[in-house]
Amino acid sequence: MNVLKVPARTIAIFVLPCLILYIGTVFIPILVSFYTAMLDWNGISDAKFVGLANFKTLLFDDPNFWMSVKRTIMYAVFSIIEIPICLLFAILLNRYIRKGNRLVTIYFVPVILSNVILGQLWKTIYNPASMGGMLNGVLIKLGLDSWTHSWLTEPAIAMYAIYFVSLWQYFGYHLLIQFTGVQNIPDEIYEAAKIDGADGFKADRYITFPMVVPIFKISVVLAFIGSLQAFELVMVMTGGGPAHATDTIATHMYNMSFLSQKYGYGSAVATFLVIFCLVITVVINGVFNKIERKVT
Amino acid sequence: MNNVKKWFVYLLFAILIVTQLYPLLWLVMYSLKTNEEILGGSFFALPNIPQWHNYADAYTSGSYLKYLGNSVIVTAISLFAVIIFSSMTAYAITRFKWKYGQYVMLLFLLGMMIPLQATLLPLMIIFKNLDLLNTRWSIIIPYTAFALPIAVFILSGFMRSIPTDIEESAFMDGASVYRIFRSIILPISVPPVMTVCILTFINIWNEYIVAATFISSEELKTLPFGVYTFVSQYSVNYGNIGAFLVMGALPVIIFYFILSERITKGMVAGAVKG
Repeated sequence: MNVLKVPARTIAIFVLPCLILYIGTVFIPILVSFYTAMLDWNGISDAKFVGLANFKTLLFDDPNFWMSVKRTIMYAVFSIIEIPICLLFAILLNRYIRKGNRLVTIYFVPVILSNVILGQLWKTIYNPASMGGMLNGVLIKLGLDSWTHSWLTEPAIAMYAIYFVSLWQYFGYHLLIQFTGVQNIPDEIYEAAKIDGADGFKADRYITFPMVVPIFKISVVLAFIGSLQAFELVMVMTGGGPAHATDTIATHMYNMSFLSQKYGYGSAVATFLVIFCLVITVVINGVFNKIERKVT
Repeated sequence: MNNVKKWFVYLLFAILIVTQLYPLLWLVMYSLKTNEEILGGSFFALPNIPQWHNYADAYTSGSYLKYLGNSVIVTAISLFAVIIFSSMTAYAITRFKWKYGQYVMLLFLLGMMIPLQATLLPLMIIFKNLDLLNTRWSIIIPYTAFALPIAVFILSGFMRSIPTDIEESAFMDGASVYRIFRSIILPISVPPVMTVCILTFINIWNEYIVAATFISSEELKTLPFGVYTFVSQYSVNYGNIGAFLVMGALPVIIFYFILSERITKGMVAGAVKG
């Protein structure tokens, strides 16, 4: 309830410092970015206004950009495929394991570590066997020499190697979220269903699934947004290479801005990223509102 | 339930422990081996003689304590700023009678969808003009600003649920809003503030790319950036790299070991409310 009548000065003291910092650091840069996206500028020489030329190049003459969009979407698709699996594990965990909480806490460990540590760790695991890489070493020990790869430097597979790390890292996160959702379903509902003859999978079909839809949505939104912004892990593991083979929208933007010093062009990619994020969030919310209306 | 099924489920979850933890354990063993052992392909073996000196070497050739100290300073200031700013704003949004409260809230909701990376270049240009590049402020400011939306959201959600009677009577008795905020609202809000602290701490403590973009001086590098620098500089001494990575992970691991229940709860609460 908004009940306190206070003078404008008090409101200003409570809100303004926060708001100025926030708008100045989040919104002003986005506006600046919309503007610099219309410049031909390398940061040093004079900027030249070129209108929408950068966007034209981006959309029609930059195959690397579209590949990076494709990879970003693939990133999201893989992350989302992981969520039903996590839900399944969460259901099993809730039903059959007594101290499920403890286990989830263990699975959660990779979530709290920095992408720098995890990226470097997996780089060492992916290393060639001659450099002590574990994965290739294990394959050789198993007699599967032909399966060994230079996982992060072969363009055809490097991106999959990164997807895998990301899935590994966030498994515990989504499992925990789903587990919380499953745990919150009261036991009485299952007991009542049992009396009516709904047990096991049937109970899941009619009770668990509909009741976890809201939590499921949260996981999907998080996975989607996390993937659109897929960045640090890629920067640490490959930097977008070899030859752009692992570029996502965000790393493409970063490399264009800071490595190629194309400030205008990089800003155009950044603008695209912001709009893409907003649109996707609206779409996911719309889709889930429909689903929720259907199941309830 | 029959036993076979039960053991199958147990096995499944045991395998998951291995997949989620073994890579980290492997790193610890790696950090205690000699270069010969690592290159020789003894992947599962324990180190022959644990090479504790890898840690000593990593410690002396890197600037671990300096990075750690920088991370502590940056994280502490940012956390403090986030808590103060977000709690005051959340209070104003949920309690004050004014026209624009809803719009301010909307602004924070909108900000949740804006990716931090998209602001890196314009922020760099702005910071360059303000002479802030390569100072602690150049990372504290974005860390704080980008933590605000979720913080305001969580805190205002909580404050809305506090009954207004206490404040109204305190107000009648002549207590100022500042007094009410400090002596009534903040103490009640400790649980959601803890949630905000945990979320913000994990994000800021682990952040790498903002630091790598705005900081260049060795003196100011935070731990993730420092770890990255160390690894790229000493790329031939595998044991030392492993040791430095373990040391880099250690603070968060210790923190998690002590507060795991709270941290997982806080992060889920953050996710669910966001």
